[in-house]
Amino acid sequence: MAEVICDDRATREINAEIKRRIAQGETELLIKTPNARHNLGVAILQPAHITFDGSVGYYCAGMIDGPTVEIKGSAGWGLAESMMDGSVIVEGSAGNGAAASIRGGTVVIHGDAAARLGVSMKGGLILVGGNCGYMAGFMGQKGTLIVCGNAGEAFADSMYEAVCFVGGKIAELGNDAVIEKPTADELTFLESTLSRYLPQKIDAIQNFKKIISGRKLWNFDKKERAIWREAL
Amino acid sequence: MCGIVGFLDKTKNEKSKIGQIILKMLMALGRRGPDSAGVALYGNRCNGDMVLRIKLGEKGNFEGKGDAIAEQVQALGTVDEATTTAEYLRLVMNYQEDVRDLEHFIESVDEDIEVVSMGRNLEIVKQVGSPQNLDTTYSIKQFVGTHGIGHTRLSTESAVDLSHSQPFWAHGCPDLAIVHNGHITNYHKMRRCYEQRGIKFYTENDSEIIGVYLAEQFSKGLTLQEGLDASLIDLDGSFSYLAATPDAIGFAKDPFAFKPLLFTETDDFVAVATEEIAICSAFEGVYKVREAQAKEVRIWQR
Repeated sequence: MAEVICDDRATREINAEIKRRIAQGETELLIKTPNARHNLGVAILQPAHITFDGSVGYYCAGMIDGPTVEIKGSAGWGLAESMMDGSVIVEGSAGNGAAASIRGGTVVIHGDAAARLGVSMKGGLILVGGNCGYMAGFMGQKGTLIVCGNAGEAFADSMYEAVCFVGGKIAELGNDAVIEKPTADELTFLESTLSRYLPQKIDAIQNFKKIISGRKLWNFDKKERAIWREAL
Repeated sequence: MCGIVGFLDKTKNEKSKIGQIILKMLMALGRRGPDSAGVALYGNRCNGDMVLRIKLGEKGNFEGKGDAIAEQVQALGTVDEATTTAEYLRLVMNYQEDVRDLEHFIESVDEDIEVVSMGRNLEIVKQVGSPQNLDTTYSIKQFVGTHGIGHTRLSTESAVDLSHSQPFWAHGCPDLAIVHNGHITNYHKMRRCYEQRGIKFYTENDSEIIGVYLAEQFSKGLTLQEGLDASLIDLDGSFSYLAATPDAIGFAKDPFAFKPLLFTETDDFVAVATEEIAICSAFEGVYKVREAQAKEVRIWQR
């Protein structure tokens, strides 16, 4: 496994080296001493396995398309923002706006996610082993968001066709979010997904609630002004 | 953008190297706020005497002014120590009366004079410039004690000078200090109400109101936890702030989680910071860190 040392080097230099090593044919990279620095491992477009040997700062693995990024610590704000494809796995917790606006791929957070998890997601899969904070799933257009623990306020607010599953309590549902019972197929999907990514959370399976859009905000009708007054 | 940090030693140790720890954390966040830096450090260094940090002016040589205040203040209590360093006079004195009387007395000597901090455990040092400069001028690395908070400032709306820097001591309430990252948007409205009741504001910095607000809650008999809880309703805008008292630190985060703040806790200590980079820089080893949630309030008591 090739090693890239961060130490005091410039972020641009570190990211350039990661890309250069992958271009040279390395398939496994270990990034040492990331020390919670920002903007590491962004815009990587090849399927390599990149491991960060510690916590990372803001915007780690943003805009990636293909690699597997493992973080042996926690992540700051904007983890995997706008990723197209690939996987991002965080051992610890993630800051605000994790997996915001992703279009594909998988983001796994073993610990907790802070506010605005997966906002405006347009595809992909997000899994959180712990709890998630305020306004997760806001305006989710497509994709799946799974939270094994509790969800914060304004959960799944103003969604389109994203689907959420929560194992614990939901502090408060967002506008136009409705709870449904997961179907048998969905339970099978949850079981296989959890056993693959978060096997230690498999026991929570019978408690999962499904949250989808009530579709009341999809089209404007002035007769329904009251709903809009509430939502806006 | 600002950087805030906090550290509390949970053990019985009263000689934790808090100056060094807070400085390391602040230096890691220096680029979040290059305008000014400051620390509020707590320890029982003066055997229960009152410690005052007094700003003598914004720039210049204040040796003579410092001596004059030290001389005059003897009328109110025995002065054990009086040292002038750069813009500050540090006074240690035996004083048991109302802190407001002492503060008014000192501040009436000259209009540039401001009591930056007062208490039996608290000492605040802040100045324009980087955290490193803070140590060069005031040797804060040498400070040992129990807990502390710190701030690096990127000014967005008010002046860049010593008085507008953070931490803010809550004037009139000994040993209460705060650091804040964000904007208090109902600042002007709240300030008008306080001013009508005769409360003096020293700066145009919206963060100052948090100290004033918490001091008011304490005067109503609320605890630190209750005061922080209440602030989630009474303060508008974006905030992650830390408050410290002689035996506790605590934080509150606004209902929309606009501003970052994360923390780690072990059996021995608690560290809170705007970014994890501050924790990585100050502590060796691996720590589990978690970002605080919206509306989250936590306090740690010694």
